[in-house]
Amino acid sequence: MSDERNFDLAGEAEVNTEAAEEVVTAPAEAEAAPAAEAAPVAEAAAETPVEETAEPAAPVRVSAHNTAAAAAFNAANEEVDVRRKNGEKVQRKIKTTKISYERKKSLYGYGFIALWAIGTVWLFLIPVITSLWYSLSDTFLYAKQDALMHGMTTAGIYTEWNDFGNYIKAFTSDTTFLPNLGTALADIGPKAVVILIFSLFIAVILNQKFRGRTLARSIFFLPVLIATGPVISVINGDMASQGVSEASQFSTLFKTDLVTELMEFIGIYNINQTFTDVIKDITSDVLNLVWNSGIQILIFLSALQTIPPSAKEAASMEGATAWEFFWKITFPYISPMILSNLVYTIIDAFVSTDNVVMEQVLGLSRDWEYGYSAALAWIYFAIIAACLGVITVIVNRFVFYEND
Amino acid sequence: MTDNNMEFPTQENVNVANQPAEDVTSAPQSENMTAAEAMGDAAAAVAVAPIETKKPKKEKKKKDDYRVSNFDIIKNYRHYSAKEKKHYRYIFWRRVSSWVWPFFRFIIVFGLSFVILYPILYMISTAIRPQAEMNDPSVMWIPKTIRFENFVEIWNAIDYPNTLWNTLVLNIVSSILQVATCAMTGYGFARFKFKGKGILFGIVIMQIIVPTQIILIPQYMQFRYFDVFGIFNALLGDSISLVDTNWAMYIPAFFCNGIRAGLFIYLFRQFFRGLPKELEDAAYLDGCGPFKTFISVMVPNAASSFLTVFIFSIVWYWNDYYVSSMYFTQGNTISLKIDSIATLISMYLYNEVRNASDFLVWMEAGCLLAIAPIVIMYVFLQKYFTEGIERAGLAN
Repeated sequence: MSDERNFDLAGEAEVNTEAAEEVVTAPAEAEAAPAAEAAPVAEAAAETPVEETAEPAAPVRVSAHNTAAAAAFNAANEEVDVRRKNGEKVQRKIKTTKISYERKKSLYGYGFIALWAIGTVWLFLIPVITSLWYSLSDTFLYAKQDALMHGMTTAGIYTEWNDFGNYIKAFTSDTTFLPNLGTALADIGPKAVVILIFSLFIAVILNQKFRGRTLARSIFFLPVLIATGPVISVINGDMASQGVSEASQFSTLFKTDLVTELMEFIGIYNINQTFTDVIKDITSDVLNLVWNSGIQILIFLSALQTIPPSAKEAASMEGATAWEFFWKITFPYISPMILSNLVYTIIDAFVSTDNVVMEQVLGLSRDWEYGYSAALAWIYFAIIAACLGVITVIVNRFVFYEND
Repeated sequence: MTDNNMEFPTQENVNVANQPAEDVTSAPQSENMTAAEAMGDAAAAVAVAPIETKKPKKEKKKKDDYRVSNFDIIKNYRHYSAKEKKHYRYIFWRRVSSWVWPFFRFIIVFGLSFVILYPILYMISTAIRPQAEMNDPSVMWIPKTIRFENFVEIWNAIDYPNTLWNTLVLNIVSSILQVATCAMTGYGFARFKFKGKGILFGIVIMQIIVPTQIILIPQYMQFRYFDVFGIFNALLGDSISLVDTNWAMYIPAFFCNGIRAGLFIYLFRQFFRGLPKELEDAAYLDGCGPFKTFISVMVPNAASSFLTVFIFSIVWYWNDYYVSSMYFTQGNTISLKIDSIATLISMYLYNEVRNASDFLVWMEAGCLLAIAPIVIMYVFLQKYFTEGIERAGLAN
């Protein structure tokens, strides 16, 4: 009887089987030690009879290698069996542990993210708060001796509250920050949109079947490897500084001749000066455009792979054109990724070190002006975060989520 | 003629319901005929119709569409009814685009591939020429004299073998730590319910968004004056400095706060959410604990996405020079050397700092050396890089 119950593998109620599993898995986790707990609890349960109909005896599954808990259970059950033989009316109800399964699983969850939690508090949250604090203060960097002289115990950065002086300075007396901020924001906006459209276009092309697709894909992902590093800045710097070699020929090819002629041909040249300028800016930078959209292409391509073939079949049966297919099937399917890509692009442009505001911030921190540089960084971050929030809210209204 | 046209579709509509293409496709045969012939053949056509409908519908439709060439469509366009016009317009444009589009696609792909490869070709072209030919307008791509000494000199100037070894050790150890711990965290977020999960995951998103620049200085101070609850200060009389040791990279990586760790956690969470729950349930039934399940069931299933994330991690550690410039004052990694390559080469060649534009060929050679290992890795693991990302759950 007891054997049959002990090794009954077909669990009836899910909670019960899972409760048993806790015992099985117990040795793996140190924080809750049910192996030790199980024995007294099980005994207590055995001694207090409960109506069997209300809660049927749990088919407890205890695997053979789980020695401690198995022994405890077997002992408890055998005791019951002995008593039953003696004519006592004993009914069994086995509560394995007092911690519920959900609670237990959530403890495991905390276990899985524990390293991250420690690291995040230590290396992310504290620095974030410290940096916020720096931005509100005057900062002094003291070595050990200086620190002792000032009555501190260890070396480090010490701060003095200055009544939002850094922020006031940024908006009133700093002559470079606000123009830089304007330039950076005006840069990021159009750039993000262009990168998005371009990478979607390329992803759609690379998703089609044609000869040499593998080669084309590997070429298009090459920028992902290189563009984030210092190599690209060396290349860019060289090309800009040369002015003699073919680099300039290459960029002029895109800068003036082709694009201007194309715009004149279509008849949109000089309709609007700013419009023309924007177009020219974008196209003169085609190298940077291609080199900055590697990740976005990758993300879009992976999104395109998720479109089920059945949708394609259905559309072609209904006689959809490629254009209709794109707008009515492809676009809704990848719309969540458009949002993610937009956010990624903005963040990427925003933290890139060749951004004017970032240059200023880094320059200041190199000059040990931590407080002021932190204040600038926080203003900049707040503005971008607000922009991202607004964009997310707006774009989310047009995003199609399949599962909702 | 009109009789024929009217009768034909109706008969077929009876036989073939819900097949609007049918009435259109059978029409052109009669359209091509002259009126007189049509009158004569009307009876025959009606007689033939039931036999035709016995054929499989799909096959017939295809056959008829392809029987009519584009020239026929243009020639007969004005004779078609509105419905037919629409149908043939569709066929016409589909054919035209199937000829024209590959051509345009080739131009686009080829042109952009050229734009992407251009800097690399440019690097190769300049790296093998003498500096004097940089300003020679008669030299475009192929230099007059080929000079491989550039590579040797830059190799020695940046102490390539040592630097490469340092960088490789640093990158691989950090990436392994980072991928392992991020995968665990991502799994925790994907599969377990616990209090405050939403807020905690919000912090992960914050980690992605908040730029490193904001937190780097306080983080730097923690490593420069490293102390755990004042223990080191009590024991050694001073806090210890982890700056210029690899620990400054390993510790954040181990605690899931390495370079772009937030993104990796996010990717892993998405990936593990996409795996079927039955996998784990089977493992639980076999008596595995969550940790054992994770290692023995989930990790093997996620192997390809592990590799993808690992490659990304390597690439980002390899290319990082902002964080490492903070922690490595000696500049002993490839990207830091590249950052100051002009100074290094001019110190090596002339023992003084000269204008960077005098050293372009060496700089390009150095860049080639810097990207060589990662490009070689890419060539071998390209499959995982491009195909793996598709399965890495990025899109969900």
